[in-house]
Amino acid sequence: MKKQSWIIAALTAVSMLAGCGQQAQPAGTSADHASHGAGSADAGAIGGQKVTIDFWYSLGGKNGEIVKAMVDEFNQSQQAVEVKATYQGNYYDNHAKVLAALATNTQPDVTMVEIASIAAFADAGALEDLKPFAEGQNGTDMQDYIPGLLGNSYWQDKFVALPFNRSTPLLYVNRDMLKKAGLNPEGPKTWDELREFSKKLSQGKGDAQTWGFSTPIDIWFYEALTFQAGGEILSEDGKQVKFNDDKGTAPIQFWSDMIKEQSMKMPPGEKYDAWDVAEADFTNQKVGMIFTSTGSLNGILEKAKFDVGTAFLPAKESFGVPTGGANLVMLSKSTPEEKAGAWAFMKWLTESDRTAKFSKETGYMPVRTSALESEPMKSLYAEKPQFKVAIDQLQYAKPRPMAPGYKELQETIMSEIQRTILGQATPQDALNKAAEKGQKLLK
Amino acid sequence: MRAAEKLRPYLFTAPSMLIFWLFFLYPIGYMIYLSFTSWNMIHPVKEFVGLENYQELLADPDFHQVMSNTVLYTVLSVLIALGLALVLALWLNRSGWVYSMMQGAIFSPYIISLVSVSLLWLWLMDPQYGLLNWLLGLIGLPPSPWLSHNDTAIYALVLVSVWKMVGYNTLVCIAGLQSIPKELHEAAQLDKASVWSEFWRITLPMLSPTLFFLLVVNTISSFQVFDTVKIMTQGGPVNSTNMLVYYIFEYGFEFFKIGYASAAGVVLFVLIGLMTVFHFLILSRRVHYR
Repeated sequence: MKKQSWIIAALTAVSMLAGCGQQAQPAGTSADHASHGAGSADAGAIGGQKVTIDFWYSLGGKNGEIVKAMVDEFNQSQQAVEVKATYQGNYYDNHAKVLAALATNTQPDVTMVEIASIAAFADAGALEDLKPFAEGQNGTDMQDYIPGLLGNSYWQDKFVALPFNRSTPLLYVNRDMLKKAGLNPEGPKTWDELREFSKKLSQGKGDAQTWGFSTPIDIWFYEALTFQAGGEILSEDGKQVKFNDDKGTAPIQFWSDMIKEQSMKMPPGEKYDAWDVAEADFTNQKVGMIFTSTGSLNGILEKAKFDVGTAFLPAKESFGVPTGGANLVMLSKSTPEEKAGAWAFMKWLTESDRTAKFSKETGYMPVRTSALESEPMKSLYAEKPQFKVAIDQLQYAKPRPMAPGYKELQETIMSEIQRTILGQATPQDALNKAAEKGQKLLK
Repeated sequence: MRAAEKLRPYLFTAPSMLIFWLFFLYPIGYMIYLSFTSWNMIHPVKEFVGLENYQELLADPDFHQVMSNTVLYTVLSVLIALGLALVLALWLNRSGWVYSMMQGAIFSPYIISLVSVSLLWLWLMDPQYGLLNWLLGLIGLPPSPWLSHNDTAIYALVLVSVWKMVGYNTLVCIAGLQSIPKELHEAAQLDKASVWSEFWRITLPMLSPTLFFLLVVNTISSFQVFDTVKIMTQGGPVNSTNMLVYYIFEYGFEFFKIGYASAAGVVLFVLIGLMTVFHFLILSRRVHYR
């Protein structure tokens, strides 16, 4: 009897605790926002008083620490604006949180937004036009931003986003491994060479298995390979799907073939989990070559105990990549005082010497032409030529699609590509299905 | 005086009623309202679209898959977690430190945060280097792709769910078993009833209120699965683990379609309501209350 009441007491206590825990899950995110909201609500409305602005960012790990350090530097450099920076998870998480915060008026004043989501936020009217700020008293030379990085900045004549941590995908090669196999350590230049190299590098079984090549089956790389095959994802105006032709199926066929012959490893995991696996496999020398963002460059160089090379993504009809990364946006719901403070911060973050330093510390590209020509960048490129490849590749780069419905469409495309890779549909059928849904979304 | 007398119960219940209205009825009402609109959560105007969201929802083949995933997941998790718990409870319902320790051990998953545990399971289920495939290899079975194939991913999530729930269920069952009056068992033993018929005629009927409670609670919580999906699979591969709450989250907070997401939310609300009514009207007749 004693024991029974003990069990019941314990159960009640635990189920109460657990109950709280479960309810805290969905509510937890909104609680986060509430605290930020408080910050932005009482942010200095009176002139001359210090303005506090909220800045949400979506870089974790080492790159996140670098962002944090930049914010601290900004806060110490002047007295007018105090920036409260908060890490909100990866691009997907941050996107969801900004959206939820907008609904409850607890949004930040400045946030990073992944470039293919800019159109969705801009179309919803959430983003402030930055043109008046850029041309105003505390303005900046707009011509100095690298033109190739502005493709995801304009929405219906409004300038809504400043390029920030910008990337292109790169081919990373383990030069030691290639040399040992008697291959050109500069890496493959074409799809055929990539496949040939990969076959030579793939060997072993079980724990000792190595692969020549690995890449996350991700929309970003799919876009790259489609461009290389001479295709397009969407039409110029973002209203028509264009990927369901033989140029759109080529990448899927290519990946499927390589996975089947075991010269390419499909990294397990969904979305960024797969990216982490591919990167870890590369630094652990389980795979010889990967595609990943230039933003991982410094991290990979620090971790790898071998000679790391970077190169353009191999060409089919031509070279081709989408640009990637995130832009900085200002939310239109902020007060004029907050907006002025937000602009000062955004401008500061993307100034020439800052963007050069950020590039050097992470691997992301500098966003200003003057930064490229600056002494620190020139000496970095001379010393570590791996850093220059992304910038050189920019001549073959295109923006990511600018369409409000693309966020949803890209999930469908990725899901259909997975279906094909798992051998449950032909590339053409899968893409037709995605295109059918896509056409509805783009209207 | 009379009026005050009449008012008193309302005053006493006011605090909890306020919370109930504010955090239960109001959100539900607002969700139903939103489900008839097209809104991106930002635009000042919520455009009224009638039943359009529901029509779109019912026409979406992904939604059909989401529904069948959710039902499959719920049925499997609940049946396995309940069945296993009953067996474990019958086995562990004795005194002695070994049994107490066992009870504690199976219960422990229940008090750990599902989010952190999902990350651990992700590693255990790694197709290349994961512990589970290593164990399969030891007993001579071929490796499973676990979460990386759409044929197996949902069963992998069921496994995590069962692991999580079975301890709680077991403990509740043990408490239920201990509340069965000893005289009944003694009487059965005096009559030389077989162990089997003692179980069917005494233990199970007397335990039925407990099992019924667990059935209702488990069904509702399984139907609302979210954490493991978000952390471990994000609905993939090929939508094979996309379940209702995650689907709602995706549309509401990633695709800017809160009206559509609300319509799916209403469907979830109605289904859980119906299930609960079904449980109480149909199944509760078979429950033996003392």
